[in-house]
Amino acid sequence: MRLSPSFAPFLARRALQAIFVLVAAFALAFVLLQALPGDAILIRFESPELGLSAEQIADLRRAYGADAPPLEQFLRTLGGFLHGDLGTSVQYGTPVAELIAKALPGTALLAVLGFAVAVVLAAAVATAATLSPFAWLGDAIRSLPSLLVAVPVFWLGIVLTQVFSFQLHLVPTIGATGPQSLILPVLTVAVPISAPIAQVLVRAIDEATLSPFVSVARARGASRARVFVREVARNAAVPALTISGILIGELIGGAVVTETVFGRTGLGRLSEQAVTNQDGPVLQAIVVLSALVFVTVGLVVDLLAPLVDPRLGRKAVSA
Amino acid sequence: MTTSRVRRSLAMAATTAATGLLAACSSPASASAPGTAADAAAAGAPVTGGELTYLEHQPYTTLYAPQAGFYPNGALVNNLTARLTWQDPASLEIEPWIATDWTVNADATEYTFNLRDGVTFSDGTPLDAAAVAKNFDTYGLGAKDRGLTVSEAVNNYASSQVVDADTVTFRFSAPAPGFLQATSTINSGLVSPATLDRKLEDFGAGNAKEIIGSGPFVVASEELNQSIRLEARPDYDWAPPSFAHQGRAYLDAINIVVTPEDSVRIGSLLSGQADAARQVQAYDERQVTDAGYTVIGAPTRGVNNSLNLRSANPLLADLRVRQAITHAVNAQEVVDTLFTANYPVGTSPLASTAKGYVDESAKLAFDPTRSAQLLDEAGWTPGADGIRVKDGQRLSLTIYVAPAQPRAKETIELVSQQLAKVGVEGVVKVVDNATFNADAKDAIKAPIIQSMVGRADNDVIKSQFHTKNRNQLAGSDPALDALLEAVASTPDQAGRDAASAAVQDYLVDNAYVVPLFEEPQVYGVAPNVHGFATESVARPAFYDVWKSA
Repeated sequence: MRLSPSFAPFLARRALQAIFVLVAAFALAFVLLQALPGDAILIRFESPELGLSAEQIADLRRAYGADAPPLEQFLRTLGGFLHGDLGTSVQYGTPVAELIAKALPGTALLAVLGFAVAVVLAAAVATAATLSPFAWLGDAIRSLPSLLVAVPVFWLGIVLTQVFSFQLHLVPTIGATGPQSLILPVLTVAVPISAPIAQVLVRAIDEATLSPFVSVARARGASRARVFVREVARNAAVPALTISGILIGELIGGAVVTETVFGRTGLGRLSEQAVTNQDGPVLQAIVVLSALVFVTVGLVVDLLAPLVDPRLGRKAVSA
Repeated sequence: MTTSRVRRSLAMAATTAATGLLAACSSPASASAPGTAADAAAAGAPVTGGELTYLEHQPYTTLYAPQAGFYPNGALVNNLTARLTWQDPASLEIEPWIATDWTVNADATEYTFNLRDGVTFSDGTPLDAAAVAKNFDTYGLGAKDRGLTVSEAVNNYASSQVVDADTVTFRFSAPAPGFLQATSTINSGLVSPATLDRKLEDFGAGNAKEIIGSGPFVVASEELNQSIRLEARPDYDWAPPSFAHQGRAYLDAINIVVTPEDSVRIGSLLSGQADAARQVQAYDERQVTDAGYTVIGAPTRGVNNSLNLRSANPLLADLRVRQAITHAVNAQEVVDTLFTANYPVGTSPLASTAKGYVDESAKLAFDPTRSAQLLDEAGWTPGADGIRVKDGQRLSLTIYVAPAQPRAKETIELVSQQLAKVGVEGVVKVVDNATFNADAKDAIKAPIIQSMVGRADNDVIKSQFHTKNRNQLAGSDPALDALLEAVASTPDQAGRDAASAAVQDYLVDNAYVVPLFEEPQVYGVAPNVHGFATESVARPAFYDVWKSA
């Protein structure tokens, strides 16, 4: 894409929007965490396993700054975030930045591979449904996404583990390293994500197939396959790209479950534990990080769409 | 029963013909230590070497010993640290470990320990009197500025005095008869003086390699929230003298892997991907034993898993109502329906394996007819829907599902059904951890709370019920507090047992506590793993574990 003169303001506007979303996510997360009954210090130190007295707990609250007024806590936390200090996990006593740094690569790998596999699966399903030589087969394949979208990630993970690891002994679940440790988790994440992408792709292909430009191309003598690749698929890719951006949220949710089932280190596990124990600082950081990922992916999708469909580029910039 | 020699028979099993003794150990009540001891006898002499994969369902959070009560923490601290004394998990006697001998003054306010020579921390620094003094100064007094909390096991601690390099004296501001046992618990695990200078944060997950202990294993590596690897210390040579096994641990290494999902944990164990697992749920036990694996239910020897009835709630203020509930709950049915033989029916507020236990079962009998009578006498008459009513008020009680208790929701649902039969409504309420912790303190919101606590000392009952400790009755009963204080401050053992019995009588006579079952920790162990044992409150001890081919 050529950078037009109006592109810079577009980017600046999107960047401002992104910053607003991040700050709003930060503030909302903070308010919600404050509104919850109890807090991490309560959960950790009032756990009967420690048997601390009320006075000792009050001391700890002071030490953690949990007794300060909410506004002061808000400003202190925000200031810390701006300086890159994400605070300390109350549950573990470990710096949040360290927890996230350890968890992020695993989740990123899982998410990227899961997404890639999902796209391949979706494209395969959509192509097979469209190019199927028999109508009944095409219909059968078309109904596949509806089935897959209904499969709970949790159930899928357990079934895959039971069958491939515990029964067939093909991949170990405990002590697996490298690619071995990724096969089942990636499939678990990919299958439910692929379903909505495939659904959107199938519908967009159907619509594009009925469009006048397809009839024109066919009338000019282009083969069915050539029309599909050059005209139909390219037009159908834009809605699929958009839905993919939205599915990032699903990917994060899928990671929570997948990482718990497979006992993988990652942001999903970290979130799950932080929620259970109301580990405020960890949750705060995860919310902001998730918002950052959302915003970035949204931006990338917006920038990519005009590359796939030049009409969108003109609209976006002139809007 | 013959459990008094169980711990030693385990150690000797490999070399002596202890079959007669071991036969007595197969009953569930004695399953704590050996379980696999019979296998050990059959499998021949222990083999040194090999690695054990052990599955936990939660990651550990900290290695600060006073906070090691959380089982994933305890599994580590128990194997990474030695203690001054060793508590025989069967007889509950306190035996020498790092301390060779000790003296206690008459009113239990001064303890002097003589220490073993040649003991070192894993970084090579000597474990001498100064190091021991620093450990207990930290555990007894805490360090507020660094977030280090006082150990629940150490009460009335005043000061330490290093008499000479291998003699240390501790003084207490009031009688502390529980201190000797406290020195044996994982909460008193001995770590190097430099380790004690850390902040609570620096004991947290991610720092395990830097925590320098004195036990048979050291941390070799950890992957945060996922796994931790322990390796045997080749120079460890200070096992409790009563052990037949001396010197280094048999295993070379233990890989502790976190597998949160129950079905994955059990599947991994049974498919041979792991050697042992903690937290085998009652409904999975059958599957594990059918596969030829051993299920070990290790007792936690403290206050039973019970329903605490709070008289501070107006609905439960009348003794007769509390008695009616006591006789309406059928603990036997709870155990038969939801649990297994590893969960013996409770016969007192304390477990039958706990110190100071007395049998209260006669006063706790399941008797719904008597319940109905008591409620009639108290003026509660059945309403249109069967739930009793008095002065327009329904006898309806909210029962929170306690997140930490095994099969808590099913348990509370079943109890509610049992209560409904005598016209008492139990409203089952499921909440998150934080709400539970907050509401559980309030007798109005939570008239009935399910809880338990494990510790193999008479003090445990005070921890659970004293208004200044866990205060599980959420009330203020000065008479009960006084009885509990007597348990914690009577210097002699016979006196403590008598004080403990008085508390149990009081709790049952006032119908404050409805015992359900004696809670175990349940482990699944592969057939080729031998010598798997637990300390007195069911934390795994890997020192004696070995694997046959």
